[in-house]
Amino acid sequence: MSMWRRNKYALFVLPAFLLTITLFFGGLADGLLKSFGYFPAIGQDTLRLSFYQQALAERAFQDSLFLNLRVALLSTIFASILGITLALVLYAFQLRSKRPWLLRLLQLPLTIPHLAAGYFMVLVFSQSGLMARLAYAVGWIDAPAEFPVIVNDAFGWGMVVTYAWKEAPFVALLLYPVLARIGSGWYDTARIYGARPWNYISTILLPAIRPALLTASLIVFVYTLTAFEVPYLLGVTYPATLPVYAYQLYTSGNFEDRSQALAIFWLLTVVTLLFGWIAYRFYRKSYDRGWE
Amino acid sequence: MRSLRVPYSVLILLCFLFVIPFIPALLASLGGVWRFPLVIPEGWSFRAWEAVFRENSGTLSAIWTSLWIALCVTVINVLVSVPAAYALVRGNLRYRAAIEAILLAPIFVPALAVVMGIHLTFLRLGLTETVLGVVLVHLAPSMPYVIRAAMISFETMNRETEQAAQLLGAGPWSRFLFVILPHLRAGLVAGVTLSMLISLSQYSVTLLIGGGQVVTLPILLFPYISGGDTSIGSAYTLVFSAVALLLVISLDVALRGHYKKKGRSRV
Repeated sequence: MSMWRRNKYALFVLPAFLLTITLFFGGLADGLLKSFGYFPAIGQDTLRLSFYQQALAERAFQDSLFLNLRVALLSTIFASILGITLALVLYAFQLRSKRPWLLRLLQLPLTIPHLAAGYFMVLVFSQSGLMARLAYAVGWIDAPAEFPVIVNDAFGWGMVVTYAWKEAPFVALLLYPVLARIGSGWYDTARIYGARPWNYISTILLPAIRPALLTASLIVFVYTLTAFEVPYLLGVTYPATLPVYAYQLYTSGNFEDRSQALAIFWLLTVVTLLFGWIAYRFYRKSYDRGWE
Repeated sequence: MRSLRVPYSVLILLCFLFVIPFIPALLASLGGVWRFPLVIPEGWSFRAWEAVFRENSGTLSAIWTSLWIALCVTVINVLVSVPAAYALVRGNLRYRAAIEAILLAPIFVPALAVVMGIHLTFLRLGLTETVLGVVLVHLAPSMPYVIRAAMISFETMNRETEQAAQLLGAGPWSRFLFVILPHLRAGLVAGVTLSMLISLSQYSVTLLIGGGQVVTLPILLFPYISGGDTSIGSAYTLVFSAVALLLVISLDVALRGHYKKKGRSRV
């Protein structure tokens, strides 16, 4: 390949590369310096670790971290189970005859913004929501207060339910293309060898979707770990998830709090980059290996 | 073949599961009185919808601001992502894996972390409280998806088609317009849709950089859904969802339909 060809391609990458470096890595580096207390504008030009120590020592940080991990883990598990079910049902329905509208319908929750999805869940699951009214109608409860607190609860169920509803179609949409490549001939062959439907699902379908499932659930996990909108709407004042806690610190005003907020976000970023890297490795591996 | 068949009831149940959450929002926004034990509201009223679309409610201008920002973000994303994806797939670049990792990294980092870091710099540069500033901070979280979508398209396109066009005398521009672009269609629909949706649904990032002066739809509706009037909150949430949904549908029809008409559709 000639020098010019190589340079031409480098030139093609350059605009996207420069934008990412300035707007993304620039912002990250800027935040990193400030998390070490570097604010030359107000005469602070020494780097200190104290904000990380402060952040880690706070009881609020530990409670937030715990809530954050719990919500992210439960959301990922529920979204994955629901997503697998959805993909399998879709596969069974598409096996003999294609129904493109089914795929379209599946994409519906994907387009709904997270804030909107969160508010829908408030209307369904709050103590005066649709479920509470139905429970009253069938005589399970006599007053709103008797309905369990599901949204704006300290445990985080409201967020878990929202994420499960919102991310399950995302998981299904990543799994379905893998399933769609397994033609009906596979099932016929398996049946000749005496496989029951459950055998077919557990020995053929589930192993086939495993790499895609791993990628999908890691993406969901990282997203739910770092997202702001849903916890901001559906959480409680204390404990808040880490992004919300850091945002509250940041907007509370003084420079010390801002440094601590950025320190928290940096700790979170390191964790997510690690998970992101693992997800990317799995993705490339399954992608490079191809179908066989 | 019979035994892998799932009954229709399962499908209907699953569909229902995904439709339920919209029902109370519809009831609350259209219901006259919807006190606690009532499952179906007493009487109907357009009060909430009138409030949302009242002349000085700012709803329409917020919708336009949201769409305008999303459009700017997406145009920039497409302009820089298509060549980048082409070079990544075809270019045989040195450090290809590293460049790809750098370009896709924003997917895994919370946008708020980046924006908090860049906030004071934007303040100094006078970019806060401007549409341009908001557009700039929407770029990082959305660009990787456009790059990825375009890369998938290039990966599935064989080099021979392009070479055949070159042999037949097509220059770089006509090769791009008539060979590459039509093939890119499906990938671009996905990338453009994702980019618009990501920009449209940003809240915290827009609030921090826009400072309440750049009023997009999520900024306008948040006070209503965090403890405000339930009917108006519901109506706003439905408007927000409808804007997202209509955007996806019209992009799909516009970008896909155009080529279908020309008889080039294969996807």
